[in-house]
Amino acid sequence: MDKKILMAIVVAAVVVVAVVAAAFILRPEGRTGTVYYDTSITVPNMKAALSTGLIDGFISWEPFVSEASMDDTGEVLMWSSEMMPNHPCCVVVASTNFLETEDGPDLTKRFLKAHMDATEWMLTANQDHDSAEYTLLVTLAQEFTLRNSSVVSAAMSHLEYKYEMDSSFTTALEEFTDMYIDLNITTNAAIADMGYDSVSDFADSYANETLLAEAGDIEPSSTILGTVRLGYLVGDIHQMAQFVANDPRVLDGDKSIFEKYGLEVAAAEGAPFSSGGAEMDAFVAGDVDIGYLGAPPAIVKHLNGGAKTTIVAQANIEGSGLVVAKNSGIESLDDLVNKTIAVPNVSSIQFLLLKIALEERGYDFVVKSS
Amino acid sequence: MVDFAKELRRYFQDHWRNLLFGLLSVSAFLVAWHLYSYYLESTDSDFAKYVPAPGVVADAFMGWFSDPDPGTSVWVDVHVVASLKRIFLGFVLALAVAIPTGLLMGSLRMADALGKPIVEIFRPIPPIAWIPIFLVVFGNWGAVAIVFLGIFFPILLNVQLGVRSVDPVLIDAARTLGANRGQVFTKVIIPFLIPYMMTGIKVGLGVGWMCIVAAEMVGGSTGVGSLIRISSDLGLFPHMYAAMVLIGILSVLTTGVAALFERRLSKWMGMR
Repeated sequence: MDKKILMAIVVAAVVVVAVVAAAFILRPEGRTGTVYYDTSITVPNMKAALSTGLIDGFISWEPFVSEASMDDTGEVLMWSSEMMPNHPCCVVVASTNFLETEDGPDLTKRFLKAHMDATEWMLTANQDHDSAEYTLLVTLAQEFTLRNSSVVSAAMSHLEYKYEMDSSFTTALEEFTDMYIDLNITTNAAIADMGYDSVSDFADSYANETLLAEAGDIEPSSTILGTVRLGYLVGDIHQMAQFVANDPRVLDGDKSIFEKYGLEVAAAEGAPFSSGGAEMDAFVAGDVDIGYLGAPPAIVKHLNGGAKTTIVAQANIEGSGLVVAKNSGIESLDDLVNKTIAVPNVSSIQFLLLKIALEERGYDFVVKSS
Repeated sequence: MVDFAKELRRYFQDHWRNLLFGLLSVSAFLVAWHLYSYYLESTDSDFAKYVPAPGVVADAFMGWFSDPDPGTSVWVDVHVVASLKRIFLGFVLALAVAIPTGLLMGSLRMADALGKPIVEIFRPIPPIAWIPIFLVVFGNWGAVAIVFLGIFFPILLNVQLGVRSVDPVLIDAARTLGANRGQVFTKVIIPFLIPYMMTGIKVGLGVGWMCIVAAEMVGGSTGVGSLIRISSDLGLFPHMYAAMVLIGILSVLTTGVAALFERRLSKWMGMR
């Protein structure tokens, strides 16, 4: 390269840096008190990062919260249920392309019936810790999450499996969407682009309650009527319903709940997914028919990414927690100012809940610049 | 200043054909991209939003100058500085280790015999493969370690080659003029190495950018690579593409700075 052209490039580089620095200096001031977040640590590694002092705390889903608090690495500062009581967490999402196929609606209703049966089985089992069902549930949870029995027991006591979508669910969807608009992560324009009149119109329409209601009438079938490609997140105890419904031990025989209702359920290509965002990408790629994931990625990837999906049931509420190091002196959210908290990723509900909680107190929640 | 303008004009006069063709091909690419994006949108394709039009991407890019990035809610300079810091650190570390090691392995048979098996085992493993391990073991320095690994081998190999390729006539000439071993080293071998080292550095920088983007995409909170992943996670595809453009620009700028540095160094060493 000619020397003069090189000089031109270097001058351009200097100009770019100067402009950026000017924009940086001239930007508006932040509020009093900033809490920092770090998305570079995967959830299973958060406990180790906390004990080495790399982070001051982390927020994640069960069973990783109970795991950290039970071995004295940390203590739970706040459960997600305290940040937003009864907050929706994981949901069951169906691809609208799948619903438009001939068998789609019927297979989805069968799936939902199995989901409801599995959820009710877990709720009953959780009520009596001495029952055989509870022992089986704990065993299944151990197999799915690869954590020991006391951890999964504790984890399940902090969440509630639930499939109904009531008005508090729709209100929560609206609140999440409003928060995303505040954060500039999505826009009213994107919502309009997807064909909704407003945020409340979106919250009302995105959840399809009809299929769930009609699923109540589904009868068992002696033959397999169809296949469903299932998406779910790796080791996420919120999504136990699909694991329970897929296991023959639950019905005491050689059929699983899915098979009882005539379904062959296979893991979708790419499952188990490491994040809800990745699972939504798989929906768009046409690899997933029905999937379990968190409500926020189901919202964000639908509005921003145009994913043709609809929510057909809830899977659980609550079940996440904010953990800080033992004896750290952190006793409330106010003590988190200038501290660094690990979050799973920006599209997670954990991030959203903590962001909402901190904003209410007037704190900024900003990524930690290294 | 007048001199520079004259040179620039001269450059255009000599290269106008190349510039014109370059402009044509870039324009054709942009038009094709726009048409594809339009096609996806008008046929209501499932992944229409995954291929935004060039204009939308440009809007997102320009938006970074007036507002914080929506996905990470910080100004983009935070990410640029984070990536540049990591590349610079990894680069400097790689230089500090690879040059002496290359010199040793190039000039001493024993060093070569000791080092060669280890180099040959680790060199073919793509640095990217180490990302999950380094991010845990080295924590915040994980990305720097990946960049180090990526830049280390090209520089090492090129320095080794350079040392071995020194024209023996030059060494003899220096000796005849009374140079001792140390002077032969600093006045003959090291200046001779500079072009080889620069080749290694240029290759290394290219690999280094790939490494930093990959490492940040897998597990980064800040940096242009994590900008890609986070934008994609949130469905902010225009910003994802804009981040890719940003990386391209930064890569060209850093290579340009490195080439300028080479010029300076060669001149100082008396090679030009």
